[in-house]
Amino acid sequence: MKDISIAVQTRLTPLLGVVCLLVSQGTQAQTRLAVSENDFLDDMPIVLSVSRLPQRLDETPGAVTLIDHDMIRRSGARDVADLLRLVPGFQTTESFESVAPLASYHGALDRYATRMQVLVDGRSVYSPYFIGSTGFGLQAVALQDIESIEVLRGSNSASYGARAMLGVINIVTRHTQDTLGPRLSVTRGENGVHDTQASLGWGFEWGSARIGVDQRADDGLLGANGRNQLNRVNLRADYRTDARTELQIRAGLTSLNSGKGQLGTIEERPVQLDSSFVQLDWQRNLGPDSDLALSVSHSRESYVDKLLSYQFDYDGISRNNTLTAIHTFRQGPDLRVVWGGELRRESIMSKSFYQQEAALDTDFSRLFGNLEWRLAPAWMLNAGGLIEHNSVSGESVAPRLMLNWHVAPGHTLRAGVSRAFRPPSTFEKSARIDLLGTPYIHSTGQVQPESLRAQELGYFADLPHAGLSWDVRVFREELGGFIRQLNASFPRDYANDEDFAITGGEYQIKWRPWTGAQILFNQAYIDISSVREKTGTPLAAPKLASSLVLMQKFANGLDLTLTHQDSGTATLHGSGMGSAVAMTRTDVRLAWPLRWGARHGEVALVVQNLGEPYQDYDPAYVFQRRAFVTLQLDN
Amino acid sequence: MIQRLHGILVWLALCLSGLQTQAQGIKVHIVSSQASAPYLDAAQALIKGLSSHGVARSEIQVMSLADFSNVSPVALPTGKVWVALGTQAAAALAKAQLRGASVLSALIPGSGFERVLRQSGRQASAQFNAIYLDQPLQRQLVLIRLALPRAKRVAVLWGPESWNRADTLRTLANTHGLVLRDARLKVESDLFAALQSVLDGSDVLLAQADPLVFNSSSIQNILMTSIRDKVPLVAFSPAYVRAGALLAIYSTPTQVGTQAARWVLDVLAQRTLPEQAMAPDDFEISVNLEVARVLNLPLDAGQLQLSLKRLEQP
Repeated sequence: MKDISIAVQTRLTPLLGVVCLLVSQGTQAQTRLAVSENDFLDDMPIVLSVSRLPQRLDETPGAVTLIDHDMIRRSGARDVADLLRLVPGFQTTESFESVAPLASYHGALDRYATRMQVLVDGRSVYSPYFIGSTGFGLQAVALQDIESIEVLRGSNSASYGARAMLGVINIVTRHTQDTLGPRLSVTRGENGVHDTQASLGWGFEWGSARIGVDQRADDGLLGANGRNQLNRVNLRADYRTDARTELQIRAGLTSLNSGKGQLGTIEERPVQLDSSFVQLDWQRNLGPDSDLALSVSHSRESYVDKLLSYQFDYDGISRNNTLTAIHTFRQGPDLRVVWGGELRRESIMSKSFYQQEAALDTDFSRLFGNLEWRLAPAWMLNAGGLIEHNSVSGESVAPRLMLNWHVAPGHTLRAGVSRAFRPPSTFEKSARIDLLGTPYIHSTGQVQPESLRAQELGYFADLPHAGLSWDVRVFREELGGFIRQLNASFPRDYANDEDFAITGGEYQIKWRPWTGAQILFNQAYIDISSVREKTGTPLAAPKLASSLVLMQKFANGLDLTLTHQDSGTATLHGSGMGSAVAMTRTDVRLAWPLRWGARHGEVALVVQNLGEPYQDYDPAYVFQRRAFVTLQLDN
Repeated sequence: MIQRLHGILVWLALCLSGLQTQAQGIKVHIVSSQASAPYLDAAQALIKGLSSHGVARSEIQVMSLADFSNVSPVALPTGKVWVALGTQAAAALAKAQLRGASVLSALIPGSGFERVLRQSGRQASAQFNAIYLDQPLQRQLVLIRLALPRAKRVAVLWGPESWNRADTLRTLANTHGLVLRDARLKVESDLFAALQSVLDGSDVLLAQADPLVFNSSSIQNILMTSIRDKVPLVAFSPAYVRAGALLAIYSTPTQVGTQAARWVLDVLAQRTLPEQAMAPDDFEISVNLEVARVLNLPLDAGQLQLSLKRLEQP
């Protein structure tokens, strides 16, 4: 623990330097306070430029679930994975056994949720070290700093790359202008819940910045080896260098100390995962209908996990550098084009995993494009694709076509087809693990990219006068050459196993029935045609899962949220066929607003899982009822 | 760049023509705060309006604020009408002793003119008056009714410079069947919380000029939040529409110059300026069609302009 603190402090020093620089600039800021004709005559920067204008939900090439800041706060969730329980088609776990809590769409098909893309402010945060796991990436920022989470349900590789095979979780952090001043949030409660977040935002002449420090900690699932503690520092600065150009700097550190292995077994041990990143985004408005964006980022993760009983460690380091360019332009009123390219290098070093000191590098080069073409006032065509070259697995192409038809005002039908792929990760391709001197996993490198062909029909309705909207998605997702670890004999290898289809339907309904009330209701029916009964894949998702959220703001300020989730029998993320359980969970949150002068805040009581404990991740791990109180002070 | 060079050359031409005729009988002096395009457009429209009604070009003098400031008070020319373009020019003319002359300020917002009056100890009068750049609140509300007929709740953010209009707007909003959801900012850092509170449940955000609230830094935050909450912004200048506001109502410098010319001609014809400051009588409306499309609001700027003018002048 002491070592981590020193490491964090050491890495914080340059960050603090930047903060001091920004604060010193802030003191020079001057604001013109008197109205003059300049307020009426001066030019303004183009804010809602062609790349900034959001797509209408009835024109998106697929189903989208939006979780906004208000919903995040009122859900009572403590992390993103927990929030995604409320998105149709998702299976989640609160376990830290596979690094961090996971969220999988259309089935817990593996232990790391590798077939999703997670973006935080445009930066892909999947973990190269853990076969592309998205769990740790979901923990990259504190919930209080998130503006919205946009979940693109369905394959989106055409726009977001190979990892977007089944969907995309797009996390957007709050703009620094929205978080000026100090903020504090403290949560304490049962099961060792001990979350604290403090952030400070300030403005300066050409922009604004925010630094946030937080800790999320609890004792984990009953039966699992806790305690889990995440420490994060995140910095964001937004500069507007002139009316057309914007620069954003982001940097952060995340340090996770958690327990692994069932309590009381020889696998019980502490693990530590540290990650850091720096990201620079430059956006220039080239004209009224044209924007250019460049992004460069560097991320690093290091993992320490020693399994002393087997005289083995899982230690390793990974780094990735990414350079992305995106050009968005409008050609007339009916055509909008987004195209760009990306270069990415992933380097992984682990003596234990690969039996070599040198880094294993994988270079990716990607070219992508999408055109949004209004064929007629009621018809919108999204056509796009991605070509990727991977230095290990070669070329892949992921095209997509989606047609939206506005049948009547407020009612839109969608139909689309797409093809996606996922190249094997470095581990799946090159792992070479010996355990107690015996070959345990020796990847032969024969494994090829797995593919996905998706077909979907959708129906989106938005009836604002009735306060009602819904989205229905019916899908068939055919996975080809599903990559799986073959564990019938030693050493184990990764191979393209079976082909199977995920078919089903899901819908979400949003309704504001009366003043201050909002009801969200989701259901998903999923059928997985896998025939490998012993793997757990056939039941990786429950046949039927439902969730209901009722939010009510009362006239006296009281804010009530009731959440109920009911999932049919499914195998757990970490246990394959060793488990097939159903679960229900009911949460309640009661909050009272606080005000003192111009400042405001909130005190909230949350009780999670009012009912019986349920099994999570592993049959031996249980999510018990837990209550906690949050005091939030905003500026 | 070429446009700016052209503006400077035109401006020099206007000023030089004034100098050449300084010795002769000047009837109208135009003092401009700046030499940029809007001031130039207003000055040209003013000169054109006067010339078309028989005022000779030699009877009009255009001077910069610097030129005016350099003239000794005793040597000030004795024209019949002075026109100030911009707040700084209005402030300079308010301080000067222009005996017997009528002073009309244009290209000036209401609170700018009120500040000039306060600082000079004057009152709006037939001798010292202004045509405001601000659109009357009544006109802004009628526009909202026309463009967004389903809108019921209007969000407004006030700053120290605009706050004095809050009661009037609230009363007027009620007469239009609209409810105001407003907040007053004292410091810039209040913006986000105030924006959140007024946008919650609102149908439209109506902008009132106040640099503490609306400036080139804050506009990003305001527009991104408003589009996210699907609450369109109705603004007071076309620059905001380019930036991402749904629509704006405003008077162009040319329209202001033309209106000023009509009042100057009245004064030259031995009538007087009104006792109260004047609203701009002509205006334009701009619509950001892309924002309108995203919000699913079919709007036509020309149609809105026509309807609003028809309502004002039945």
